[in-house]
Formats: sequence, structure tokens, C-alpha cells
Amino acid sequence: MAAGVAGLTGLAGCGTVPPKPDQSAPQLRGGSYSHGSTGGGLKDTLEPYFPVTNPDIARCLQLYEPLLRWNAEYKIEPSVAESVMPNRDNTQWLVRLRDGVEFHHGKTLTPADVMFSLAKVTDPKKPGSGGTELAKFLDLKNSKIVNQNTIVLQLSAPYAVLDQLLAEYTVGILPTDFDVSHPVGTGPFAYRRFVPGQLSEFDRFANYWDGPAFLDELIIYDFADDAAKVNALLAGQVQSIDNLPSYVVNTIDQQGASPLISDTGAWVPFTMRVDVAPFSDVRVRQALRLIVDRQQMIDQALNGFGILGNDLYSPFDPVFASDLPQRVQDIDQAKSLLAQAGQSDLDVELVTSTAVGAGAVESANLFVEQARQAGVAVQLTKADANVFYGDRYLSWNFAQDFWNTRNYVPQVATSSVKGATYNETHFDDPQFTALIDQAKREPDETKRNQLLHDAQKIEYDTGGFIIWGFKRQLDAYSNLVQGLQPHRYLPCSNFGFKRASFVTPPT
Amino acid sequence: MTDLATPPQETVAPPTAVRGGSAGSAWLKWLARRLGLAILTLWLCSVLVFFATAALGDPVRAILGKDFAASPERAAALAAQLKLDQPVIVRYFDWLGSLLTGNLGTSIANGLPVSELVGDRIINSAVLVLASAIVMIPVAFGLAMISANYRGKRTDGVIQVVMITLAGLPEFVVGILLVALFSTTVFHVLPAVTIAGGGAPPWSNPASMILPVLTLVIVVTPYVSRIVRSSLLEVLDSDYVELARLKGVPERIVMRKHALLNAIVPGIQVIALQLAWLAGGVLFVEYVFSYPGIGASLVDSVRNSDFPMVQVLAMVIAAVYVGINLVADVLSILFTPRARTAISS
Repeated sequence: MAAGVAGLTGLAGCGTVPPKPDQSAPQLRGGSYSHGSTGGGLKDTLEPYFPVTNPDIARCLQLYEPLLRWNAEYKIEPSVAESVMPNRDNTQWLVRLRDGVEFHHGKTLTPADVMFSLAKVTDPKKPGSGGTELAKFLDLKNSKIVNQNTIVLQLSAPYAVLDQLLAEYTVGILPTDFDVSHPVGTGPFAYRRFVPGQLSEFDRFANYWDGPAFLDELIIYDFADDAAKVNALLAGQVQSIDNLPSYVVNTIDQQGASPLISDTGAWVPFTMRVDVAPFSDVRVRQALRLIVDRQQMIDQALNGFGILGNDLYSPFDPVFASDLPQRVQDIDQAKSLLAQAGQSDLDVELVTSTAVGAGAVESANLFVEQARQAGVAVQLTKADANVFYGDRYLSWNFAQDFWNTRNYVPQVATSSVKGATYNETHFDDPQFTALIDQAKREPDETKRNQLLHDAQKIEYDTGGFIIWGFKRQLDAYSNLVQGLQPHRYLPCSNFGFKRASFVTPPT
Repeated sequence: MTDLATPPQETVAPPTAVRGGSAGSAWLKWLARRLGLAILTLWLCSVLVFFATAALGDPVRAILGKDFAASPERAAALAAQLKLDQPVIVRYFDWLGSLLTGNLGTSIANGLPVSELVGDRIINSAVLVLASAIVMIPVAFGLAMISANYRGKRTDGVIQVVMITLAGLPEFVVGILLVALFSTTVFHVLPAVTIAGGGAPPWSNPASMILPVLTLVIVVTPYVSRIVRSSLLEVLDSDYVELARLKGVPERIVMRKHALLNAIVPGIQVIALQLAWLAGGVLFVEYVFSYPGIGASLVDSVRNSDFPMVQVLAMVIAAVYVGINLVADVLSILFTPRARTAISS
């Protein structure tokens, strides 16, 4: 409340809107900062390994830290671990912990905490969302604490990109005496108070290893309503909000706030099941991919806030096959492929839902229009959230889904091989799977990249996804604060309030 | 309460054939009968609420959604928590029993006691509704008296046009317009949303209550004011008012002593109706202002298939409806001399 009042008087006092902050100006200490987070509700939790809602993720990033972390470029950088290095065949990984990392309750980070956390997140009875993939090959029984800051993690099978799994915010390191009713981590803000569906409060952690935050306290409010969230920002009651609706980007600019626009690798694909007719014919799949006018989808479904897609995911991964030619709309070629497949009068049902998120229903509507040009009739079914993600989820023949930024190998593991948790397209290509398995074991980076490139070529030629674009993330902050920068991973500068500060000294 | 729609005089139809006994005991009997009816209504509500939420379909499947097949342990645990192995009737009486003894159950969404989750929110919503009522009642009566006083003149016309316009605006439009006017676009003088840190209740920052209250007042006042105005006009046209005027009673006194008192009864009924509507309809306003009341919790609980929460909130809203109507009926009787004497005679 203090922040709300301070912000208000700041605005009310001058009458005119404050100018854009000078991001290079030296940052000031102090102040109570409020963030408006989208969604949340009674399912809100502080559980480090089971974040459910968007504010839960925002809270996780303040309290807990994984061994490694993603930087603003979506590259891995050290966090509470100084380094995580594999042996020659990727079966053992050496973890070196940073010295003098302290938990909020004063305990110093030890290898025992890391072992405890990894055991908890991969608990076979209740694996955390970041632990399901880890649990498949992490052999904790044979992993060893070498000395007071070194651990050797033993894998039951080679895994070349373990570091990417250990950089996820859902694999935060907890102390061995962790108790979720008084949650403790090593993050820049320490827990003070939590009301599910309403707010959570944090205090600056003075002994934070990576330079303590500028702010004295942080309050994260849940907002069920977009309009309320934007109004709270414009009235100065919160200093930043995540997931700004794209239609207000230009108006808030004139009202004392700035949009924060970040490239992301988040995508809203069309999913075609490769194991049922007519999509089991690769010519049909390729034809539908050629029908899509990708730029039109970005312009209309994402209000222009998107990056062109080429039916491939993980655009920030160094192995991303950016050399494959950009697919563009080609109605003649699509018609000819459909004729070859004997499907000139193709009539398909496309299932969509507002639950898929921004851009989904809009792009589905556009697809119906674009398909008509190629003589393909698309019946659009708009399903309710609980129907779409109900019993038939993952078995719709032709539908949509949403995915966040991920690198290639972890993404394949969750979406594109047999047994993957969310294999909507039922993609199960033996040659593809063999390439991926080989790549996971391959220690040589050049060879591994070639294998993964070949795998992407298979998806480009025969996959079941139509990936027309990647979303740009839209957030916003008040011009009374500085320090939030675009970030390729999570909203609002990766919820990086540690770097935020007030432009004028808080009163 | 099905008798809401009927004219007030009929809802308070005096009991027939009350013979013997003092006026007081007749009153007690009448009140007891009304209370009995209210409790019966609430009991019927509880049956409806329980069977509509817990007994239709498979609640575990509804709660778990796509996780139902994936995690049989969670399904089993939930079934145990909801006591699904017992017959529906047993579950109902269990639930009713614990509800009556103050045990509101446990939220499925986050495992916390329902009472802890809804307690503050019920108080917050109640404060919002009450504050709106306190502002709305004098404003509505005042406007109605001015209108009736200037019947057919320009003042009356302007007031009526404004009232009809406002009555046509949905509450969220009113809310958004007020926010744009006072908080974000034109002036920056009032908070746009009702958020408060430190666990303080919303009214700890009174400024942040102004816009939600104002929205509700603007939404509800036209209805109340128009009903009161037309009852006032009816009374002002009646023979006894005419007689009072002929006797030389000043118009001011006619309005206050003769007309207003007689117009109060329909006013009470429409206020009761509007307040009861607010108990559930406050939802939109709570959304627009992020007000920490029951509205958002109810929507969220329905979305989460959180049956214990939905049941408690639905019963709270039902109780408010029944309670407000009961109070309105008692007040109506007290303000209607004929009904009053019919009971105690």
C-alpha cells in the first residue's frame, strides 16, 4: 500500500506524465515496488517444484535459484553453481558450487542441499514439472559429494544437455530443512507473506550472493482482469505488469508507462496427427503448411508482435537450422500436392479454444480463410477450456497448442518422440528418434550439431506441426522505475525485479 | 425467495384469524413463521447447491481434468477427501451437519480451510455493499423527492434522462469510465484498483474504496430512485394529500410527512432487491477494481471445480438474499399501519 500511495502522489503531484526513464542513469536504493501479475487464483502456491499459475512462476524466480540460469539472450550462465561440466561421454557431470551462497534463513549452501533438492524434484512418487525429464537418467544413488563444494552427478544414460535442464527455474536449490510454510531459497527476495489469489510480499535479501536488490520490498499482486491490471499501472499503484494486452501498447506510451517488448521462442502451432488420415499422408501435411500466410498471421493474430516461423521450434538454440529455406505461402504447390494425394476436396475439422492463449483462435480463423484459397474446407470448432484440455487433449486430429521457449533437445523430449508427455502430433519417426538418441550421447559438439540439424530437416520435411511464428512478449513498466530489460525467457525481464529501481528517491 | 417480484403489500399479507393472545405474541408468531420460512428456503437452497455441485457426474474427473488418467493416486486421494465411497444422501447430511457446526471444509484447489480463504473476502464484500447502500439510499430518495417535487418540469426531465441513461449502462462500463476519468486518463486523483499490501483490509486506504462504491451507487441508484419517485407521485395524487393541501398544509410538510412515509415501503422493497442483487452482482465490480471480495473467488472456484468453496460461497449468497428479504419484510410491516394492526389485532 505504501508503494501505491507513493506512486499516486508522484503522479498526482505533477499532473503531466513522467518522461521515459534514463536507463543508463545510476540506480538508487530503496522503495517498495509492486508488480501486477496476470492470472493466479486459489490454486496459487509457493511450492518450488509445482508452480501452477503465472504469479507462481514470478514468485519462484524471486525465492529460488537453480544451479545455472538463462540470461537475457537465452544462453546458460552460472548461478549458484560456478560450473557444471560433463565428462567425455556425457555420463558424469561435475558440479562446482559457488562459495558463500547463503539461504534466506542464514544457512550456507552445501552439496547436501543440492542432493536433497535433486532427490525432491525427481521423486518418483511426485516428480516436479522440472524433474520428469531429469528423473529418466539421473542416478542419484551413484552420484557423489566429492568435497564441500563439488558433486559428481552420475547419469544412467548419456545426456549431452543436462545443463539445460538444470537451468530451469523449476529446479531451484532448497535447503535440506525446507518447509513450504516458511519457504526459503537463495534468491534475491525473501518470503514475508502470501495470500493465494491475492498477493505475495517479499523483503530484499541483504546477503544475496549476486549483489542485493535495489528495492527494499516487493509485492506481487494477482490480477484476474486485464483492464484492472493496466489501470493499476497507469494510476501508479503498481510499477510493472506482465502480459500487456497488445492493443494498449501505443496508448500506455502516452500515459506515463513504457512497453517492454522481448523476442521469445514461444509458439502457438497447429498440430496435425501424423498417424490418422488425411494427415498420415505427408503430402497433405506439407500442403497445409504451404497454405499458411505466416506474415498475415503475425500481423493479425499477434497484432504484429511476432517473428516468422519455419515449422521448426527452438529458434534461440545454437543448433537451430536457420539455413533451411523460409517456407512461404504457395497455393499452387499446395493444390498440386493435395491432388497427388487424391485430396483435392479436402474437408477437415480444426479444434481451437481460447484456453490455448493469445493468438490461437485468431490464427485458426485466418487459417480457415487461407485454406479456402486452396479449395480446402476447414470446419472450425471452438471448444471450452475443460473440453479442449479434457479427455481428448493429445488425441485431436487437427488442433492447436501453446509452447514456451525451450531449447531443441528438451523440446523434442516433451513433444516429438514416442512416449513424450505432450506429443500432440503423435510424431514417431524411427530415423528421427535414432538421430536424437545418438546426439544425446555424442560428446563432440560439431558432430552433435550435425545430427540435430539432420533431425530438424526430417521435421521440416515431414513433421506434424505448422509453426507460423513466435510470439513477442509484451510487458510494461511505469516511467518512475528503471532497470527492466527485454529478456528472451520469462515475462517482465525474467521477473527480474532484482535489477529494478525507482528513478526518484522514494519518500 | 419467489415472492420478490410481487408487490410488497402482498408479500406481507397479514396472517388470518389471529385470535386471542396479546399483540406481542401475535407478532412473535408472525416473526416465527417468517423465520421458519426463511430457514426452509435456506434448506432448499442447501439441497440444490449440494446436489448441483457434488452429486452430478464424477467430481474427481472434473477436478483433475487431463491429470485424471495420469495420476490414479491423486484421484484416489481426492475421492477419499470427498468421501465418494459413501451414498450421496449420507454425504449431504455430513456436509450439512458440518456446515451448521461451522466447519466449512477444505478447499480442493490449495488444501487450506475454506473458512480461512473466504472469511476476509466475505467481510470485504459486505463492507463494499454496505458502504454503497449507505451512500445510495439518501441519494436515491433525495433525487426522487426533487423529481417528484418538480414533476413534469425541466429539473424532473433532466434527472429522469440521466437516470435512464445510467440504468442502461452495465456496471463494468461505468467502472471503466470512472477509472479513465479519475485515475488514468483525465485526472490522476484516485486509485484505479483496490489493492493493499501488508494484509490490510481495503478500507485501510479509503481513497481506493471511492471508485468501487461510486460505481455501485451509480448502477443501483436509478432503479431505487425511479420506484420511489413513482410511489411518491401516486401518493401526491391521492385524495388524502389533496385534502391536506386544501387544509393549508405547506407543500414541504405534505412531501415529508404524508408522501415520503407512504413511499418508504416500496422503497424498502426495491432497496432490498438491489442489495440482494449486489451480494452476487458485485462480482463485475470486484473484477474491474481487483477488489478482494467473494466475486473473484467464486469465479475462480467454479473454474477450479473447487466444490467445497463453491458450496460455501453459494450458501453465503443465498443466506444474504434470504436475510435481506426478511429484514425488508419486517420493516415493510412496521411502516404499513394497516398490516401492522392486522397482525396485532
